[in-house]
Amino acid sequence: MTIACTALLIVTSCRRHEDSAQDISIVESIAPQPVRVGEAAVSVQLTDIHGNPVSHARIRVEGDMAHPGMAPVFSDARESAPGSYESPVNFNMGGDWVLLLHITLADGRKIERQMDVKGVQSR
Amino acid sequence: MTKLPETLAGSPEENEILDQEEFFASPPFDLLSIPVAGRLLRWRHARTLLQIPLLVISVVMILQGLLGPSISPKNLATVLTWVHFRGALVLALLCAGNLFCLACPFMLARNMMRRWIHPRFNWPRKLRNKWIAVALIILVLFAYEVFSLWSSPRLTACVILGYFAVALVIDGLFTHGTFCKYVCPIGQFNFVAATSSPLEVTVRDHEVCGACHTKDCIRGRREPSSQLAILQRGCELALFQPAKVGNMDCTFCLDCVHACPHDNIGILSRLPAGELMSDPQRSGIGRFSRRKDIAALTIVFCFGALMNAFGMVSPVYVVENWLERQLHIASQATVLGLIFALVIVVEPAILLGLAAWITRTWAGVKSGWLAVAVRYSYSLAPLGFGMWLAHYGYHFFTGLYTIIPVTQNAFAEIGWPVLGDPRWTLVGLPKTFVEPLEFGFLLLGLAGSMLIAWRMAEEDSDDHPVRAFTPWAAVCILLFLASAWLMTQPMDMRATMMAG
Repeated sequence: MTIACTALLIVTSCRRHEDSAQDISIVESIAPQPVRVGEAAVSVQLTDIHGNPVSHARIRVEGDMAHPGMAPVFSDARESAPGSYESPVNFNMGGDWVLLLHITLADGRKIERQMDVKGVQSR
Repeated sequence: MTKLPETLAGSPEENEILDQEEFFASPPFDLLSIPVAGRLLRWRHARTLLQIPLLVISVVMILQGLLGPSISPKNLATVLTWVHFRGALVLALLCAGNLFCLACPFMLARNMMRRWIHPRFNWPRKLRNKWIAVALIILVLFAYEVFSLWSSPRLTACVILGYFAVALVIDGLFTHGTFCKYVCPIGQFNFVAATSSPLEVTVRDHEVCGACHTKDCIRGRREPSSQLAILQRGCELALFQPAKVGNMDCTFCLDCVHACPHDNIGILSRLPAGELMSDPQRSGIGRFSRRKDIAALTIVFCFGALMNAFGMVSPVYVVENWLERQLHIASQATVLGLIFALVIVVEPAILLGLAAWITRTWAGVKSGWLAVAVRYSYSLAPLGFGMWLAHYGYHFFTGLYTIIPVTQNAFAEIGWPVLGDPRWTLVGLPKTFVEPLEFGFLLLGLAGSMLIAWRMAEEDSDDHPVRAFTPWAAVCILLFLASAWLMTQPMDMRATMMAG
């Protein structure tokens, strides 16, 4: 059984999601700075290899605390201008957060981007 | 309840006393005598059966920690270690006893190793105390903060691996249960916490032990034809059952249960923390009042709980920044080390020293101040346990269901989503339920500590027990208030520079 679990975990662990859209440039930012407990805004700019904005993508933002066992927060971004997406994120406690941007392009390709938000300050 | 004949029936007060006597005189509950669990635990391979799942889970945790997702809440190593394992450990100690040591996976690996490698050395006499373990507990608590172990699956896996390695090296070199008795920080934590547990591995009938000549419970049972071949191990931690008192140093391994030829050892119920109310000679330990090392262990257990909780709330960063500015220290590790020294060494030295001095001078207790401090420091064990319960219980209950999406995710990642898509919204019980529970744990700990301090005061000072008790009650209330205040602070868990 140990061997079976070990094999399963090695397979699990070694499998990585590869970005299927290497030609897309992603620039993300968060405001206001410094980030405090409460609502903040995540901005994401998507451009293609020629610098043209990438529209009609779906972006789901997932926020996880650095400590396990805490509730993650989710929100969906809306496109405010061609290639520019904005999403509110509710940081419900202080500390280090990891934001995962789950991006699905209009042609169905998927990208995942990690964004570390260190030291969200308690009010 | 047996009804008394009318001629013997007295006043309601007398009857109440008789009821109480009858209650306490009734035979204690024995876990080994209940139908299914009792029979299972009496089986010779029960411990191995319990250890195997934990060993498998440990291997899974190490692999996921090293090779799996790098985000802590999505990795089995961090979720199981820092949410479920710690919580289950303290809850088991509260509801039953030292069940983790019973199912310890490190000892299963060690037992397998000892089939081929036989230790040759005895643990040095000078090290036969808890000082190494005290230092290791402080080191583990410090490493937890400075490396933000909770935020790193890789480091968590390394800690588990390191634990296996140290256990195997120590018990590969030294005989008996050296690692458990003198080194293992988790074990020492369990030993102190288990003094407040409701169950104890102990003798059922002392008269049977009086007539026993083989002493198999400590010597082990050997092959009659060859005295060298051991059929069943006796206690590896040098606890002789007829003289054993309480749960200190008892790993619940049940070797003594299996070795006893008279079936005279059970897992009996008792008054939680009752063992701290008196100071008898204990087998394998001696008297608590003469063991400064175990007193230090208890102090670190109690004040370490405070420090561990303090490291997770916002005010710790205010203190850190203030110290950095005042002392012009740039290193966060140094500042944290300073806070640790203040909370775990300076604070108890001042509080307990002062309380001991007042007890001596005000209540006229004859012992020296250090002896008084050592004796009464044991009264802090239930309160310390209450603090750990409140802290670990909080993470356990509020993150109870997180194991479900993490496991779903592990299967989904290999393209075999048999458990469905991860339901990341599954978290745990609501804080409105958990927070009163936390407060209850703290109150329970406070009540236990106050009761023990009162019993000690009554014993130490016939004339002024209130005077002897008051300073220790003040220490307990102060610690309780500090813990309650910490509970109300906003959580703020930042990884330090070491963890990136």
